[in-house]
Amino acid sequence: MPKVMIPTPLRQFTDKQDSVEVAGATVSEILGALTTAYPGLKQNLYTDEGKLRSFVNVYVNDEDIRYMNKDKTPVAATDTVTIVPSIAGGR
Amino acid sequence: MIKIERDPWQVMIEHAEAVFPNECCGAMLGVSDGETKTVTVALPLENVHQGPQAVRYELRPEDLLKAEKEARGRGMDLIGIFHSHPDHDAYFSVTDLKNSCPWYSFVVMSVKAGRYDHAKSFLPNMEQTEAPEEALELPATDRSA
Repeated sequence: MPKVMIPTPLRQFTDKQDSVEVAGATVSEILGALTTAYPGLKQNLYTDEGKLRSFVNVYVNDEDIRYMNKDKTPVAATDTVTIVPSIAGGR
Repeated sequence: MIKIERDPWQVMIEHAEAVFPNECCGAMLGVSDGETKTVTVALPLENVHQGPQAVRYELRPEDLLKAEKEARGRGMDLIGIFHSHPDHDAYFSVTDLKNSCPWYSFVVMSVKAGRYDHAKSFLPNMEQTEAPEEALELPATDRSA
């Protein structure tokens, strides 16, 4: 099954595991399975309207899904999905 | 509370002063015991904002990914993000808030006329609507006024 790498602050919702394996063939399916298995992640990753939060970037292996097929990006059983925040700012 | 050790703090000050009058940015690695986060390593990262960097910063997500991997490799966690406000105070601006992430501490460093002046830490919320100040403990050096 594909492996999902969990950012440090979210491990409190995954029984302290830094990676978990969940079933799914696309990013959407993987994140759906992930938040079903670990419901505490849902509020961190999705808005109340069910959209991925603006600060959440998702990578399949080392590729940003925004430049692939977004949440329909295919994920193979040997792939690694990584959640990375988007951060910027200024005075 | 977030506590920054002497070595990473020196790295942060040097980076903030080196890129002045532009905004600097970087990652803070360390450990957390639940109550206190302790920063033991600071990683300066490139400001990739496509525009005036004196008033904006942007982190490359790939760099954050690398910082996260480096933290794991060292048995640490990525616990915070730092950036500077050149010739302005260390507050959490609307721009900071709208582009923040609630998973980390955000340390803002004020650099005035090219010299470090003061710093504060903030904890933005999930909805990016507010960022209460977090207690920040800096090492006792003559550069941590």
